[in-house]
Parts: sequence; structure tokens; C-alpha cells
Amino acid sequence: MAKLETVQTLSKHTGRVWNVSWHSKGHTLASCGEDKTIRIWCQENSKWVNKVILTDGHKRTIREVAWSPCGNYLASASFDTTICIWDKKSGEFECNATLEGHENEVKSVAWAKSGKFLATCSRDKSVWIWEIADEDEYDCAAVLNAHTQDVKKVAWHPSDDVLASASYDNMIKLFREDPSDSDWICVATLEGHLSTVWGVSWHKDGQRLVSCSDDTTLKIWKQYLKDNNEGVAVIDGQETWKCVCTISGYHNRTIYDVCWSHTTDLIATACGDDTVRIFKEDDCSDDNAPTFSQIVCVDRAHSQDVNCVSWNPSLPEILASASDDGEIKLWKFTEL
Amino acid sequence: MSGFSGVLQLTDLDDFITPSQECIKPVQIAKSKSGTGAKITIQDDGSYLQTDRDGSTQKLQKVEISLSDCLACSGCITSAESVLVTQQSQEEILRVFEENKQLKASGADAKLIVVSLSIQPILSIANHYDLSVNECAAKLITYFKNLGADMVVDMTIAEDFALLESQREFVRRFRSTEIDGVKNVLPMLASSCPGWVCYAEKTHGSYILPYISVTKSPQQIMGSLIKQWVGGNLGGRSIYHVTLMPCYDKKLEAAREDFFSQETQSRDVDCVITAIELQQMLAKEDCNLESLEKSNFSQPWLLKENTDVSPCLSKHVGSGSGGYCDHIFKYAAKELFGEEVENLEYHNLRNPDFREVILEKEGKILLRFAIANGFRNIQNLVQKLKRGKSQYHYVEVMACPSGCLNGGAQIRPREGTVLKELTLELENLYSSLPVKTPEEDKVVKELYEGWLGGLESDKCTALLHTQYHAVEKTTNALNIKW
Repeated sequence: MAKLETVQTLSKHTGRVWNVSWHSKGHTLASCGEDKTIRIWCQENSKWVNKVILTDGHKRTIREVAWSPCGNYLASASFDTTICIWDKKSGEFECNATLEGHENEVKSVAWAKSGKFLATCSRDKSVWIWEIADEDEYDCAAVLNAHTQDVKKVAWHPSDDVLASASYDNMIKLFREDPSDSDWICVATLEGHLSTVWGVSWHKDGQRLVSCSDDTTLKIWKQYLKDNNEGVAVIDGQETWKCVCTISGYHNRTIYDVCWSHTTDLIATACGDDTVRIFKEDDCSDDNAPTFSQIVCVDRAHSQDVNCVSWNPSLPEILASASDDGEIKLWKFTEL
Repeated sequence: MSGFSGVLQLTDLDDFITPSQECIKPVQIAKSKSGTGAKITIQDDGSYLQTDRDGSTQKLQKVEISLSDCLACSGCITSAESVLVTQQSQEEILRVFEENKQLKASGADAKLIVVSLSIQPILSIANHYDLSVNECAAKLITYFKNLGADMVVDMTIAEDFALLESQREFVRRFRSTEIDGVKNVLPMLASSCPGWVCYAEKTHGSYILPYISVTKSPQQIMGSLIKQWVGGNLGGRSIYHVTLMPCYDKKLEAAREDFFSQETQSRDVDCVITAIELQQMLAKEDCNLESLEKSNFSQPWLLKENTDVSPCLSKHVGSGSGGYCDHIFKYAAKELFGEEVENLEYHNLRNPDFREVILEKEGKILLRFAIANGFRNIQNLVQKLKRGKSQYHYVEVMACPSGCLNGGAQIRPREGTVLKELTLELENLYSSLPVKTPEEDKVVKELYEGWLGGLESDKCTALLHTQYHAVEKTTNALNIKW
């Protein structure tokens, strides 16, 4: 079996902590929450310490933070309808661009791996793609109204400029740029969850996705291209996505976040039952009907809802979690 | 699919709102006297009956939200679609036409029903039913006359006015900033797209509004021409004015308080229908447009007998949204710098829906114009303006990608056809029409004299210009969502 042990508890935020984001090099963690601050944590003598507090960017709750792939920028999405882009060019962290346009609460922000785009989504039901033009210039490349309800999460493909979005309308949508007029189009709709889809995370190969929902299940989705060997029909366009596995019976409440590790392939979940769980794909699991087992379940990982889980990209055994209880926990995973 | 432009769909911001359930617009109800101790009972039909202490009963008035209430509110917008559809719909038109027929039959004072056709829906319908543009117009005239219209008119004349007024307005603004240093007058932003105007009023308010051209849109100029001039010359005869337009946003425009005339006690445009609704009407009645006879356009503004003409539709040089950018650019180049510009060379910016054209002389940029279509480009433009990074003198802004030929309520592509291909077809169809130059139109010149009392007169301002109103964000406790 396996175990998950607390390495350190970071409790500086006042009020709920919504989200954490690892820097691409894994040496820095950013966190944000209800207290409208962003905190940046670094390791010092094997302890994680809060080095920086950013306070003057947003007027309301900060819902999500995201480091750019190059590691030089930090984006923050807030209920105040704006997104701030922070950088350290002057030596100190400063907000050097504010993205406006959403009608109300911004729920999620994500950088494309190519570094060319930023995506945001909001309670206004729209997903926005921002093109990174020049220094601190972000142009609106698309406003996507494919969802019929609040959009909870945006997540980019691990290598291509393909975006996944998850919504209160129980659906996941995938978007690509149409090269003919640089407009973005919805290329796939993933239907299957019975309630709000809160989170979505890509497998490292970009051909699979895991999603988590208010219906207390995880779903694994697989991409089938036109003329695939399995004979899965592709009706419109070039690809279709099929739910190949539903992981149910483990979570007792809404699953708020899911993170598919790009180093270990382990899936971590954050749940409203205060628990952090880890799932592993079974050996000799069939690609078209994979099976997963729960290998760790930490009851009362936090004293309240767990909002976010995130695997460290360079320290593969380290997992961070954030909760309504105001704490961030760093965990060490060991397979016994 | 909604017939609105993307902009107004986005502004529908609330998760759950429909006007009946969660509209937060406070509504005043005229109530006689409020006694205490009255009982209210709900009747079988869902109405509310108030029983006073003395036993007398009165039916309580239902709160009704009108389209103009919606326009004045920052709460929601197109969830009010249901409101809108009941007030400006095919059913409403058919009802009015029918009522008028009965009035005529009974010898009572019937209304004069005038239908104005704009070019974009004609192209959409012509393309869909595989008719030539003029043939299509001629058959549409017959269709509307069969329904009960007294006159069907070509809206091109209103487009001429809109272009001429916009050209002069631009030069006025340019000179006032160059010579008198007046601020916030440039760039001038186009005003003919009500989706864009409504979005600007609701979300950017006083910040953007000063830049928006005060020239009325062709639809509303047509409204003034028909109701004020034609109506006036008919001794104030009551006119019912219908327009055929490419998007639902035009319905919102027609419903604006600014376009309600105290004089005629009616709106300048009473009802707007769109290409897609016309398609539905034809389908419902099993009417084959092709089989209809051809009829002629009326020209009631000429105030003469026998002026009907067979349709000979034309285009204005430039975009399929009215050609504002081209016309204003050429006029300004000549008026301000004495430069004759033949063809405008646009270059695409980030995408083909954001195009720029400049006038350069001796290495100096004299004029910088752009066409920005679609919501993403509106965003980029607004953000540029907000950050003081706009270098434009004029921007033709339309809410729909590709502009009005791709209006939200144009007929959808046939199965197997992509929207972009259809838009391209309509663009080609439009550019195949003969060119009309507003400056050279004799009728327009005569109307400036006869109707408006000369160029730049007070009457021009009163009848061809309008104003905009920032909509305050409501900070009503009911409006807060957690």
C-alpha cells in the first residue's frame, strides 16, 4: 500500500484558502484565499516559509493563482472580476497588467504551455482566451460562450494549445484555435457527470483527462481521433472524447479538485468530506476501459472542506492541499 | 440560438434570472388606496384578488416588465428575451396587420402600415431562396402587401443620411480637438450597432459614451423620415412602421425611450422583424416566396403621386455593415487634408475582424481608422481606450463577427454549410451590387432642404442625432449574489 504524511502545515492565511500553485521548478508555492492576499512560500533549511505577501491587487476574494510555464509571471483570478499578472522585473513582485472584461467573479486562470495564451473563466458563463502580445500586453483572442452556466475551471493541454473548461452545466468543453481566422472553437463536449464539474486535469500524454464533480465521482475521458483502431465513431470534426472509467463509491461529498501527476501518474483529489485521496491506475489496466484503485485515503486531512490539491512538478512525492480551515498542508507520499 | 449579437448574450449575466422570477427592477404600480386588513386570494387563473374589509373586491394589477424597463436596468438583459419577443414578434405584426384589415373593412380610420427593408436581410433571404437580390426584394414587397402593408420602402435612403451625417460629425470632432483642444471626442466610434451601444451603456458608461457618434442609425433615421416627414405630410395620419433587420438587437434599439415621439405618441419604429423570423413566417404559412408576383418599392417621402419604382438595390462602398469607415475616411481625407483617396488599403491586425487603414503624408500619419467586429475586438478596443493606448481617429464597431451581413438573426446556414462560407457568399452578393454615392443622391439633397431646413440645421440635430445614457450599476441588496 501507500501512505501520505504531513510534512508541514502552513497557516498564515486568515479565512479559507482557495488555491495553491507550484512554480514550474517546484521550489516555490503560491497560495491565495478569502483574505484577498497572495502568499509566496519558499523552502529555507528544509522548512517552507512565507517570503512574500501580495495584498494590493484585488478588492475581493482571490479564487485561483497560476505560475506561468516560464516561471516569471504569476496570474491571480479574483471575484472582483479582474485578473492580475504579477512579475518581479523590478526586483519586487508587482502587478504589471490587469485583465478586465469578465462581467463578474473570475473562477479560474491558466497559462498555456506554449506561453502564448492565458485562459480565464467566470460566473458570467464565459471562457476568455487572452493572447500574450507584447510585454504586459494581453489581447482578447476569444470570448467563448459555449457553457450555459458558471464555468468553474480552465486547464490547458500539457503540450498543445488546447483548452479544457468545466462548468456548473455538468459539462466539460474542449477548445482549439481555428487557424483560418484565429478564432477559437469548441471541438468537443464531454457529457456524463450528473452535477457540477469542479475540476479537470490532463494526463501528461494529453490524450486523457480526469474530471471531478459534485456527483461525487471522478471520470476518466479518452481521446479518439478520426479513423481510430478501436472503431469509435467520430461524427463531427477530428476527434471525440469518451468516458472510459467512472470512479465512484469513494467520495462522500462534492469533489472540488483533482490533480493528475505528470511524474508519477497518481491522481489526488480534494473533497468536501475533508479528505485527501490518492488513486492509482491498476497494472495491466485496459486503455479503453482502465481501472483505478484508491491507494491512500487521509480522513480529516483538514478540519473543513478541501478546496485544492496540487502535485509538486519536480519533487514527485510532494503534494500540497488547501482548505476552508485556513490551512495549507504539504504532504509526502510514500509507496510501501 | 439567439438572434442577438454575441455581445448581448454575454451581458445576460445572471445564472438563474428570468424576468418573472428574479427581476430586481423596482416597478411602480398605481394603486388606488391602501386599506389595512384586506385579504388577497389567489384565483384559479392565477390572478390575485383583493377583498377589502367592506367586502368589495378588486383584481390586483400584475407587474409587467416592459422592454424599456429592461433597457434602463443593469440587472439582466437578454434573459428579457421573452419580454421582447412578446412585444416585437411575428405574432404582433400579424395581429396589427389583421386588426388594420378589419378597420379598413369596417370603413374606420385604419393605420398606414409602412415596412422598411434593409439590405442585409434581403441578401440573406435572396441567398437562402436562391433569388436575385432585386427579384427577392420585389417578391418581399408583394409578401408584405399581401399581409396588409400599405407601402414597402427601401431603407438605403436612411443609410445615405447616416453616412453623410457621420462624415460631417467626424470632421467636426476632428477640428474641435485639433483646433480647440477639446478632449474625449476622438476616436469617434460608430453608433449604428445597438448591441455595441447597449453594451457600452451598461458596462462602460460615461467612459466610452462620449466617443460614440451621435448620428442615429439608419433604422432610426428611417423612423424619423417615415413618422415625422411622411406622417406629417399626411396630416398626422397614424402610421405603423415595421423594419426588416439583420439582428434582434435592433428590437432593443427601436424600444429606446429616445426614439419615442411625443408628437406622434408612438415609436419611430413600432416593430422590428428579422430575416430568421421572416423565414419562419414563410414556412408557417407555407408561402413560396418564389411564386409571388413582383411589386414595386414606394417612395412616400417624395410627396408625389406615382413614384413607385421596381427594386434596384445598391451598395455603399466598404463593409457590409454600412461602409462607415470607408465613407468617413474618404470624406475626412479630402475635407481635412485635401487628399483624394480612391481605394482604401486595410491591413489585418490580430485577426481579420480587426482591420486598420491609415492616411500617410510625408511619413506622418494623418488619419488612422479601423473596423472592429465581434466581441473580442470590442474588448481589445475598449481596453486600449481605457489605458490611453488607442491611436485611432475613427473605429467602425459592430458586435457581430464579420459585421451586419453575419447579423445574429440572419438565416442560418443550410445543413452542411459553414457559417463562414455563408457570410462570404453574402459578402460577394453585396459587392456585386451597383455602387451608390450618398453625396450624389438628388432625393437626399432635396430632403435636406425640404424636410430638414438645410445642412447642419437644428432640425438635423433634432431628427438625425441622438444621445446615450450610462446605466448605473444597481447596488440593490437583492442584486448581491454570494
